Amino acid sequence: MLGKLLKKEWALCMHPAAWIMLGLSTLILIPNYPYGVSFFYVMLGIFFISMGARENHDVMFTMTLPIGKREVVTARILFAVELELISLLLSACMILLHGKLLNAPNGAGMDANLALLGEGFILYGVFHLLFFPAHFRDVSRIGLPFVAASIAVFVLITLDVVLSYALPFWRDVLDTPDPSNGKTKLVFLLVGAAFYAFSTLLSLHLSQKRFLKLDIR
Amino acid sequence: MNTILDVTDLVKVYPGFTLDHVSFSLEEGKITGFIGRNGAGKTTTLHSLLSLLTPDGGEIRFWGMDIREHEQEIKQRIGFVSAGMSFYTKQKLRKITAITRSFYDNWDGAKYQSCLKVFSLDENKTPEMLSNGMKIKYMLALALSHNADLLILDEPTSGLDPVSREELTEIFLQLSEEGKTILFSTHITSDLDKTADNILYIAGGKLRAACSLKEFIASYLLAEYTKDDADAASPLLIGVRRSKEGFTALVRTEDAGKLSLPTRTANLEEIMVHLEKEA
Repeated sequence: MLGKLLKKEWALCMHPAAWIMLGLSTLILIPNYPYGVSFFYVMLGIFFISMGARENHDVMFTMTLPIGKREVVTARILFAVELELISLLLSACMILLHGKLLNAPNGAGMDANLALLGEGFILYGVFHLLFFPAHFRDVSRIGLPFVAASIAVFVLITLDVVLSYALPFWRDVLDTPDPSNGKTKLVFLLVGAAFYAFSTLLSLHLSQKRFLKLDIR
Repeated sequence: MNTILDVTDLVKVYPGFTLDHVSFSLEEGKITGFIGRNGAGKTTTLHSLLSLLTPDGGEIRFWGMDIREHEQEIKQRIGFVSAGMSFYTKQKLRKITAITRSFYDNWDGAKYQSCLKVFSLDENKTPEMLSNGMKIKYMLALALSHNADLLILDEPTSGLDPVSREELTEIFLQLSEEGKTILFSTHITSDLDKTADNILYIAGGKLRAACSLKEFIASYLLAEYTKDDADAASPLLIGVRRSKEGFTALVRTEDAGKLSLPTRTANLEEIMVHLEKEA
């Protein structure tokens, strides 16, 4: 049933702007740019999807289908996960391309390297924790949960820029062109992925709990 | 006669409104009209049936199964149509149908095509291109194509012109003949005069009547009188209203003989209007 719901998300809820946001992983090809911002655009795409879903009475429609209430939440969060994993895959391609075409360090935060993907996982994880549980408390409210999540994400992106100058481990180990310090960056990537998995599961649990209490009108 | 739906002591509490221990049941193959003024609790009740709302108390059983435990199984056999809803306004009906059909075990493609023809629906149109009546027909087409045994219709004739309303009521009668059970909420009582077998009447969150339409109509008479008539101030008069010629009020059929006022059979609207006035 979840597969069918995901198909429904792609067919009926995917917002045209979200395709463009996915394409903005190409920002990684710009020299001296805070690449974390490219992940934020995907979050903006998820915001547009949630807005479109609200305007099209998606939750009401979905609830009339033969599914359980809990699955409405699972499908939406898994849809976001799919979009984010696609964005990370595209980012990985852009990182490789960046290495081939530019191969220059980034003066505005993390270099285009393996650790950047770990940073992407962390940013998406924080977004899940702040956006979905607040949104599923009342599906008609999207703006405030998104603003709260966006502030946290931008604080982290700014922190990345600061750390890339101020913290030796960040500056000399993580924020370096590939393939140097490959093992440490891989560990950072895995830690980011683990945080992402944990925060997504926690977000799912909290969102479902709140949505089950929600009256849909 | 099989019981399709059993609602027992349904309670939903909002600030300023309580759906107060509502209990009723639906019989297979019957059309049940659910009447009450706006805000009486009709939509709250219907939405509770579909788990859109979380009731604060009570039990809802479809075909003997508790909705909380058998939601998916039950929803396979239910079609929900609401006049107020418009889904995915810019998507083609073809696409919405393709997604919807994938959720139902008993989807009947031939029946869907037949519904499109009967309802004159063009699959290449989007919901925003459809009139309210056509939107309802499209939702009905979806419900009928998955062979729903029970149709829950929330104000389906609201906002429709008289011809479209007449068309829909004919469709409901035909569906009832085919054995479908219909629960039909409305405040346009004239639609029910033509179609309903049973009546649920709700006011202020409380179910005031749950019986056959004939029984409901037969339980009241309408008295038309002037202030000079004897018994004009009788406490047996229910929901006294001014009219052009004087006053009208309901009288319980068993009390009619106790009054010297002229009475006649009341229709559903007159009964509802006077009962609301009394409330």
